[in-house]
Formats: sequence, structure tokens, C-alpha cells
Amino acid sequence: MTSTDPVRVYSARKDAAYPPPPEAVLAEVASMIELILHEYADGLPEITRDTRLGDDLELESIDLVTLSGLLTEWYGESVHLARFVAGLDPDAIIALTVGDLVDHIVARLAPAAGE
Amino acid sequence: MVMVRAGGLLHHVARLGPEDAPGAPPVAVFLHGAFIDTLASFYFTLAPAFAAHGWDTVMYDLRGHGRSERPPSGYRVEDFTADLDALLDALGLTEPVHLVGNSFGATLAFDFAVHHPDRVASLTAVEGCPAGSGWAEAMAGALHRATETLPEDQALAWFTEQYGTVSSTRTGDPVHDARIARLGRNAGRLIRATTITRDIPRSRRPTADQLAALSCPVLLVNGEHGLVATESAHLTAVLPHCRRVIVPGHKHSVLVEAPTEVTALTLDWLDEHTHTHPTPTTPSSARPASTVPNAAHPATVPGEARPGSTVPDAAYPAGTTPGSAHPAGTTPHAAHPASTLPHAAHPVTGTAR
Repeated sequence: MTSTDPVRVYSARKDAAYPPPPEAVLAEVASMIELILHEYADGLPEITRDTRLGDDLELESIDLVTLSGLLTEWYGESVHLARFVAGLDPDAIIALTVGDLVDHIVARLAPAAGE
Repeated sequence: MVMVRAGGLLHHVARLGPEDAPGAPPVAVFLHGAFIDTLASFYFTLAPAFAAHGWDTVMYDLRGHGRSERPPSGYRVEDFTADLDALLDALGLTEPVHLVGNSFGATLAFDFAVHHPDRVASLTAVEGCPAGSGWAEAMAGALHRATETLPEDQALAWFTEQYGTVSSTRTGDPVHDARIARLGRNAGRLIRATTITRDIPRSRRPTADQLAALSCPVLLVNGEHGLVATESAHLTAVLPHCRRVIVPGHKHSVLVEAPTEVTALTLDWLDEHTHTHPTPTTPSSARPASTVPNAAHPATVPGEARPGSTVPDAAYPAGTTPGSAHPAGTTPHAAHPASTLPHAAHPVTGTAR
């Protein structure tokens, strides 16, 4: 992959505190989405908890596959988008918000998550 | 994402499953549909459940689709078959694999099984059938309508409409329409930039003898109101080892609209042909109806004298329940992080694991 490959760019920044606070998770997820959509950076809205993956960001399901890989690479196997959304139909997946993802990640990283 | 060179093209591959499980886990290779489909249709439906069930799963974007390369030509069924043959080589998968194809992906699975029988342990066809004369005419007609008789910008609307008519659950709401419109844009790019609409109808077709000689077990999963009822009934009659299951109330897009049901009945059927019969030599048609344990979900199997055949969802809890907890260490591949990512530094690899 080239140097613009999101995985390699993001992995190089892997120096944050762990487990990260929710605000940090939000910022990290936003960074990943911006990396995936870097071709469209000019038209991107500000990414907040309420930002919808489908309606607001126009992420396609194949983009979510990439995001899933980034999340697992960054947070470890306990955070896995495919298992988080398994059983949801594509429309429900697309209707997810960034906040939904952040909440899932925070819950999975909490010490009480049964690791 | 992992890019693997196969058939002279870079293919986007995703993989979920146990990497170092004791013994060799069975391998399932998933083939998505044409035009508006990508590996995501399996990544968010069957594959997580398969992985949690101990399977090694391989998903890839077909040439021209998703994140894989989009060559200007070479879109006959046999071209896709050559890609899969090369991909299995590139991944080092020398043992027979279990193919799961959706729609056009099922067509590819049949072609691959006919021409590479030694590489296929079983075949699951979700709403799909082998290439045939009726198939080619229907495909050619639809593609002609989409690309020749409609202005370019209306081809997108045609895909939207077409997908709407085969979806059984959501039509007309803005969110759904927006998603279909995005998918349609991708399909439009594929159609305009390549020879796919000319190539697909000119694909080779299996002969009746070739189909009758198909030795691997075949599972046909149909939506009750799907698109391949006639072909599926014919296959049930001519294939040596074939079972057909119909998911009530669903149309062509049964995979993404009834993922739990499709997952359960597919895994149950595959269990018969892997765990108890590692080499699939037992005709599935010889199995008694009682091997499908629960009639609470009334799928029907024409040609067999029983009204119901499906399996309880509870039999496959892992990965099939939205938001369910899968603590690290409880799933077979929990100790192997990021199975879709670790080889990003090696875009061309013969050992993508």
C-alpha cells in the first residue's frame, strides 16, 4: 500500500493513553473516518456524536469494512464492527451514528467488559 | 485492507476466522453479486457467525467491484472463475473449500465447481443458479434496458428501481433510497467504464452432463418470492446432491434482509458436510428430514414431503445478535487481531496470512 493507506498512517500514531476516554475515542473515530474519506475531505461535515455514517457521511458498506479493520487494528480484537453490527440489516448499519460506535468502543474497552 | 494479486489483478480480500485453531478449520469462500454488491454483504452477515462457529472465512471483491481493480474488459463468468482459481493459489488454499455465492456470485460458484471440482467441498447458492440460456437472456435483457434504452443518468434510477422491486422490506423511505442511489452510482461507473454488460451474457454455460456430474453437495437458498424459482426446481431434480430451502416472505435480497435465517440454515447444512463428513461423499438427499431440528421457522423444501425446515437461531448465538458481547478469548479468533489488516504492507503476497 502507499503512504496514504489509512491503516499505516493511523498505526504510526498509536501512542495514546489506554483505555482512552470517550472524548479521545470520538476524536480517534473521526480521524479514521476522515482517512477513509480523504478524497472528499473538502465536503466533509464536522464529525460529532450525532453524525450519521450513511446520511451525513455517505459511507458505503464497503467503507464500513475498511472502518471495521481500522477499529480492530487500533483498539484490539475486542472492538469488532462486524460482530457489533452482525444481524443488523444494511439500512440499520448505515443509520448508525458516530456516537453509537464510540459508545460500543468505550463499553468494550472498559475493564468491566469481561476481558 | 488486504490486497492480493490474483488473475493479474489486485483483489481486495477480507478474512475472518481462527488462524491457528487446532487442526485445519474448514474454509468458506464467499462470492458476492454483480454491479451493486461487494464483500461487505458477507462481512456484515454470514462471515462473523461462520468465524465464531470455527470457520476460516475468505471474502473478496470481484474484479470491477468494491475495492478491487476494475479492468476495462474481461467480465465473462470464466474470467471470474480464473480469478478465484488464482486467488486460492495466492492464499495457499490447496484443500477443497466451501463456496457460498449470492446471486451472480452463485453463478460463479457453479462455474467454478464444474471446472475445478477438486477445489470445491460444497456449494451454497443464495438466490442464484448456473449460467444458462434463460439466465443469459434475462441478464442480457436487463442489462440492455439499463444501458442501451435508457439515458445514462437514468441507468442509475433503473438500478434503484430494480433493487426496490427485489427487496421485500424497505421501499420508498429516504434513507433506503439514498443508500440504493449510492450503490447505483458505483454500478453506473462499472457499466460505463467496462465491457461487463457485453461480457456477462456471452459467458460459457455448463452442459446438462456437467451439472449432472457435479459431485459436491449443493444447498440452494431461495427467497419465497425470489428470482430463480424455476431454475432452482430444475437444479433440485438434476443435481446429484442437492437440497433446497426457501425462506418465507423474502425476495431476491434474502441474504442481507434475513441474515440470521440464512446464517443458521447454511451453517446447519454445512455442519453435516464438514464435521461429520469431512469428505463430502454422502448425498445430502439421502439425509432424513429430521436432521433439520426445528420447524418453528417455516422454511419449506419443495420436493421433500415436509412443511418446515430451518434451525433455531439460538443454535448460533455468536455473531448473529446485534450488539451482543463477544468477550475477547471466547471466540476462536479472538487472539488474532485484525484478520483483515495485518498484511497491508505486503500488497502482493502468496501467503496473505
